[in-house]
Amino acid sequence: MFLTLKELRHEKLKFGALGLIIFLIVFLVLFITGLANGLANDSGSALKNTSAQTFILQKGSEKRLNRSQLTDADWNKVNHRNAAKLSVAQMTIQKSNKASKKTDIAYFVTDANSFLNPKTINGQKLKNNDNNSVVVSSKLKTDGYKIGDTFKDSTSKKVFKIAGFTDNTAYSHTPVIYLNFKQYQHIAPQNNNFNAIVLQSQLKQKTGYQVVDKQSLIGAIPGYSAEQGSLYLMIGFLYLISLFVLAVFFYIINLQKLSDFGTLKALGTSTPYLVRHVITEMGLLSLISILLSFAITYLIKLVLPASMPFSLSSGVLLGTGGLFILITLLSALLSLIKVIKIDPITAIGGNN
Amino acid sequence: MSVLELKSIIKNYPDGQLVNEVLKDISFTVEKGEFAAIVGPSGAGKSTLLTIMGALLTPSSGSVLLNGHDISHLSKKQQTELRLNEIGFIFQNSDLIPYLKISDQLKFIQKISKKETGNAEEVLTKLGLQNRLHSYPNVLSGGEKQRVAIARAFINQPDLILADEPTASLDSKRGREVVQIIQQTVHQEDKAAVMVTHDERVLDLVDSIWQIEDGRLKKVR
Repeated sequence: MFLTLKELRHEKLKFGALGLIIFLIVFLVLFITGLANGLANDSGSALKNTSAQTFILQKGSEKRLNRSQLTDADWNKVNHRNAAKLSVAQMTIQKSNKASKKTDIAYFVTDANSFLNPKTINGQKLKNNDNNSVVVSSKLKTDGYKIGDTFKDSTSKKVFKIAGFTDNTAYSHTPVIYLNFKQYQHIAPQNNNFNAIVLQSQLKQKTGYQVVDKQSLIGAIPGYSAEQGSLYLMIGFLYLISLFVLAVFFYIINLQKLSDFGTLKALGTSTPYLVRHVITEMGLLSLISILLSFAITYLIKLVLPASMPFSLSSGVLLGTGGLFILITLLSALLSLIKVIKIDPITAIGGNN
Repeated sequence: MSVLELKSIIKNYPDGQLVNEVLKDISFTVEKGEFAAIVGPSGAGKSTLLTIMGALLTPSSGSVLLNGHDISHLSKKQQTELRLNEIGFIFQNSDLIPYLKISDQLKFIQKISKKETGNAEEVLTKLGLQNRLHSYPNVLSGGEKQRVAIARAFINQPDLILADEPTASLDSKRGREVVQIIQQTVHQEDKAAVMVTHDERVLDLVDSIWQIEDGRLKKVR
């Protein structure tokens, strides 16, 4: 520790630059991770945040809700406890008095008595016997909607009143509006079908139907896999790049100090002491940089507009930090080998 | 009583297909309170001899006795511990650690050896470095650096001081001053010291002179 602190204090510029690199990389990784998670939520949080486990779809619908059409006959055939019907319809709404202000939304149509009826963060829950009052995602607040406001379905011209807001739920990047089946009849009167039978329990298969678990259903939402795949590819490469960049920087920095290490060994400093010195130095440097990038990421999150989905749980944050500490230590390995191998004999004979 | 004694030391290096014998049957001794110099041309084996005395290199055969204990076949770890606690080194270019302040150069040695020995600042003050205690090595002159290196070699109260051409990077006046300081400290603290040099002008300051040539050592004075 003695050597480490003294050196960090003296070589502020060198270690500051190295710290800056670590900080920038960690920050970029955190930012992209947050964005990936945010987009994932924006794509499928309406499904992810429910207690649903299994989705029973029409055979051949390729895990896509909108390709599946089920009837009451199917419902009776499946006849499962704790099941709920779900219809999803992607439509457009507008403010009742202003036709120019339109918003793309997704209707989630379900039985208000089922487990799919969402909890509200303010206002009232969705009821089955109400023709008019609906629950909507709080994402609609950014478009200026408040409790008690009305909106008009752009196709059917049916007007609904907002009775309550639920969490930030979204489906395929659009806010979700929850309807009961009676309300849905006003929008699509000729349609008695629904898209899925949703179970709260695990189910592997059901003859004559496609059975999908929640995660693969979310993965099949159009655009979801493409977005997540490319972002995670970027994150993966950032980890790999940082491993090599840091390894090269550490190596060069330690190479410059090799003759000092030789002298220290000649003076009687043990190799384990020097190894600890290098590891503490790199560990401390990366720890400070990582904590700094946590702080900056947090500040950025506060000022990001709501239209830019960003979500970073403390678990992901700590995981990323831990992974980076590991990467820094791994990249110090090459330098450590050099430090271990340097022969104290180099101090004699004026080779330095 | 002899602090360091070398008995029939031979050191071979493989040189292609041949074996190069750098040191040929060397015997040497230095007493407590004695300041010995080893002189000789480049390539005569001066540095190799010093590294064997300093437990940095193991001889091919023969024994090295430090305070009566054979140190020629110690493990690397034991060698390191021995260098820390019983030998003080003064290197050619002083080799101070660039990121340690002058007083910390000494405190570091005290710290890793866990010995309660002397006051680093006091020692440096005695060598006229009181204004440099909190400076980094890069602002010191060559003579000042070498004085710090001397203080560093002595701070741990070792029995043996080894100096590797301490005047090589200094002009004759400063070089002489540095050797004088070593001489005085050796006599005052009753240590044994060996200096490798080819600076003939400082030889009047040492107690005994040894000449090495083609791997053979003989006492001149």
